[in-house]
Amino acid sequence: MWSELRGLKDEIDFGTPPRDGSPVPLEIDSVAVTVPAGSSVMLAAAAAGRPIPKLCATDMLEAFGSCRVCLVEIEGRGGFPASCTTPVVEGMKVKTQTVALQRLRKGVLELYLSDFPESEMADGWSEFHETLKAEGVASHPYGKGGANHFEAPVDASNPYFLFDPAKCIVCSRCVRACAEVQGTFAITIAGRSFESKVVASQDQPFFESECVSCGACVQACPSHALVEKSLFEGEYKHAEPAEA
Amino acid sequence: MPNPLKPEKSVVTTCAYCGVGCGFKAETRAGKIVRMTPWKEGKANHGHSCIKGRFAYDYYNAPDRVRTPLIRASIDDPWKPVSWQEAFDYAASAFRRIQAKYGVKSVGAVSSSRCTNEEIFLVQKFARAVLGNNNIDNCARICHSPTQFGLTNTVGAGAASQHFDSILQADVIMVVGANPTEGHPVFGSLMKRRIRQGAKLIVIDPRKTETVESAHCKADVHLAIRPGTNVAILDSIAHVVVRERLYNEEFVRARCEVNEFENWTALVGSDKYAPEVIGPLAGVDPADIRKAARMYAGGPNSAIYYGLGVTEHSQGSTGVMCLGNLGLSCGMLGREGVGVNPLRGQGNVQGGSCLGSWPHVFSGYRFVTDDETRLSFEAEWGVTLDAEPGLRLPNMLDAAVAGSFKGMYIMGEDPVQSDPNQHHVIAAMKNMECVVLHDLFLNETSKYAHVFFPGSSSLEKDGTFTNAERRVSRVRKVVEPLADYQDWEITVKFMNAMGYNVTYNNPGEVLDEIARLSPAYRGMSFALIDRVGSAQWPCDENAPEGTEVLHRVKFPRANGLGAFMLTEYVPTAERTNDKYPLLLTTGRILSQYNVGTQTRRTPNSMWHPEDVLEINEQDAMSRGVSDGHWVKLSSRFGEIELRAKISERVNPGVVYTTFHHAKSKANAVTSDLSDWATNCPEYKVTAVDVVRTNGPAADSVQEAERPRIDELEPAECA
Repeated sequence: MWSELRGLKDEIDFGTPPRDGSPVPLEIDSVAVTVPAGSSVMLAAAAAGRPIPKLCATDMLEAFGSCRVCLVEIEGRGGFPASCTTPVVEGMKVKTQTVALQRLRKGVLELYLSDFPESEMADGWSEFHETLKAEGVASHPYGKGGANHFEAPVDASNPYFLFDPAKCIVCSRCVRACAEVQGTFAITIAGRSFESKVVASQDQPFFESECVSCGACVQACPSHALVEKSLFEGEYKHAEPAEA
Repeated sequence: MPNPLKPEKSVVTTCAYCGVGCGFKAETRAGKIVRMTPWKEGKANHGHSCIKGRFAYDYYNAPDRVRTPLIRASIDDPWKPVSWQEAFDYAASAFRRIQAKYGVKSVGAVSSSRCTNEEIFLVQKFARAVLGNNNIDNCARICHSPTQFGLTNTVGAGAASQHFDSILQADVIMVVGANPTEGHPVFGSLMKRRIRQGAKLIVIDPRKTETVESAHCKADVHLAIRPGTNVAILDSIAHVVVRERLYNEEFVRARCEVNEFENWTALVGSDKYAPEVIGPLAGVDPADIRKAARMYAGGPNSAIYYGLGVTEHSQGSTGVMCLGNLGLSCGMLGREGVGVNPLRGQGNVQGGSCLGSWPHVFSGYRFVTDDETRLSFEAEWGVTLDAEPGLRLPNMLDAAVAGSFKGMYIMGEDPVQSDPNQHHVIAAMKNMECVVLHDLFLNETSKYAHVFFPGSSSLEKDGTFTNAERRVSRVRKVVEPLADYQDWEITVKFMNAMGYNVTYNNPGEVLDEIARLSPAYRGMSFALIDRVGSAQWPCDENAPEGTEVLHRVKFPRANGLGAFMLTEYVPTAERTNDKYPLLLTTGRILSQYNVGTQTRRTPNSMWHPEDVLEINEQDAMSRGVSDGHWVKLSSRFGEIELRAKISERVNPGVVYTTFHHAKSKANAVTSDLSDWATNCPEYKVTAVDVVRTNGPAADSVQEAERPRIDELEPAECA
């Protein structure tokens, strides 16, 4: 019971919360696996030892389906469904590593990378960095002169963590952690499209917002946009602007 | 800017703050803690955290941590840094000399709810086996002692009936005198999760706390009672349960003492507890009392969570019994989703209670006068033990003033700041020949100490904590002790210096000894906890991995039946009058922890730099007080000055403040009344008045005459 909480494992991120349902057998890349009903294809893949790359998904939060990195192919279905928002069905046959999928993922990741400070790539160890490495994406074809968020101001108002919008991929994990895990609802996404950004309360500095500094958003952030100040030596400086 | 530096090492341990007992991964780099992240497999927190455990850890490395042992012949001398051996020898010879001159019972020991189970056990062993008397006490007495008394007398066990996750099966949640979103934030988040899923919420609290209303979480019923009317309101709820026949007759007949049930129904069913009578007295709408009663009794699963707002009253024990009675009468015990649960303030209050740091009982609340129990300890410890109960801390202090008590070993407490009568404590301290203080920081008591053992924070040692749900979790050493030794080693070395030969290779061997001598902990070991993560007592051959829900089949009383206690409402002697027309109640805020020994040494103080007085606009306007004005808060017992904050959280007639900052001395005004059964102080009700002032002159800030008992550093209770 309460698998959403008790089924969590320290070293594994299943991508979506564990469930309690009756067993459902399926195949992931020809590997047979059985998971509880209500589980996502993403969770089944992790359980089968065939983890699917992801950015907006983590197993402490309900699936959201925004990052489009976790796409899969399912036999008998058209298109490329997101594995995080697709529940398992008995007998389902899932492919996670086709050429078409790799091409799609690469395209998506290159778009993310095009608005991520180049100076922050070399020694990064966030989930975002690790995902790019795992998928072999080290560059993008969009040049350096495009619109970006590199100079958006850092919010260092909270004594314990900072928010650097330059590294934010707007995956909403922080927003959902604040709502689902902490229950404070202090963070939201303001604006649409390229203007969309993470804001606390009424676009206030974190320290002045309703934020209770529980750290759930920092824990959830996949790109070190929200990050503990204690991990830096010396004062935090904004990313270098990209060279045109 | 470079990326963050990656931590090199990670150790799973248990948070040192509140009674939730969250699992954390303490991450280090170059031997220094750089981050605490919540442990996803922690059974109390499931990967969640709060501002205190997650971020406020750097107090451990504060510059004013004492790093070498100190001694001095007289409290008028300056401290002299010495080697550990010198300090042990000095303290041991002083204690032996005192005992030779004044008798075996002229010395004693005090332990703390912030120490590990192993340390608490060793300190009581020090008193019993080494000093040869039962002069051992600890601070758990003065916060949740009514819980021990009230629950033992109704359901048979003075501990939470459930595990935290049980709340996810609750349909109705009743919170009484507690504010989990501030005091127990990670449990508060779990509670809110359940409320968002549709559970109903009843809050009984004078103040409109964040628990009453926050984003997507609103109490269905909030009984904003006048402080001091807990028992009246709970009896009135019981009245509705009885008169409307909402009780669970099947459960009562099968599981409870029926005669006592009938006596209880006669009392609470009488007209004097009708909502129409009690409502006006308590300041709430009678219809809301009926609504709360019907909601609670209707369940189907109703769970009670309560805090110091129930216990810290002159009828604190009665209030706890009211909750036990309610749970029994409606059959809300013995399965998932129900229960009666105290929310404990400190990380190890439950452990402090269980492990024999009391003058009259061994671990597991077994009396020192009981020959069989005492013999089992004598066999294990190889010494003859005193069969006569020892002195409580207040009695030790009285005896010190009288001249018959001359030496004390104090681990992790600050009685000079904590005792209700500071002058008396100081007189007692000055009258002793050797006070050995074992702590992280020099504190008020250290001014009167002769030996100072610099202790280790919970990040520097191994052991276990027992949280508010009876869960025993591992505390693991993350960094080396700043002063060379872990606290358990210091106590053992002190025992050895006293001439008692005992060796432990690690504190796991102390837990093994606890397990051999304490039925509820019989199956506990480091190996078990390392394997299963954590385990709730009772843990024995019948429950090898612990017990989540108590009372499933019977209650741990002689006949196995739940008992109803008679809970007549007796108003507190603390009353308002023309001179003191308002009622003061006190509480906590999220960012600070108790008196702030730890949190005030971190940036958490940015959120709460000072204690303020919350006052309703109506009361403020009639006194010419606006937001931010300095006011004088006076009671029959003293006065303090602090800033006012106009707040809708308190009703007219009620004011509220926190007690996190020693400088505001909230304790100087609180009453000196206490619980009739356990002497737990009545901190939650004081008649006061508020007048506007120009603020404290720099040199005339009020000195605390009578610090509140739970202003202990670092050992206050909750």
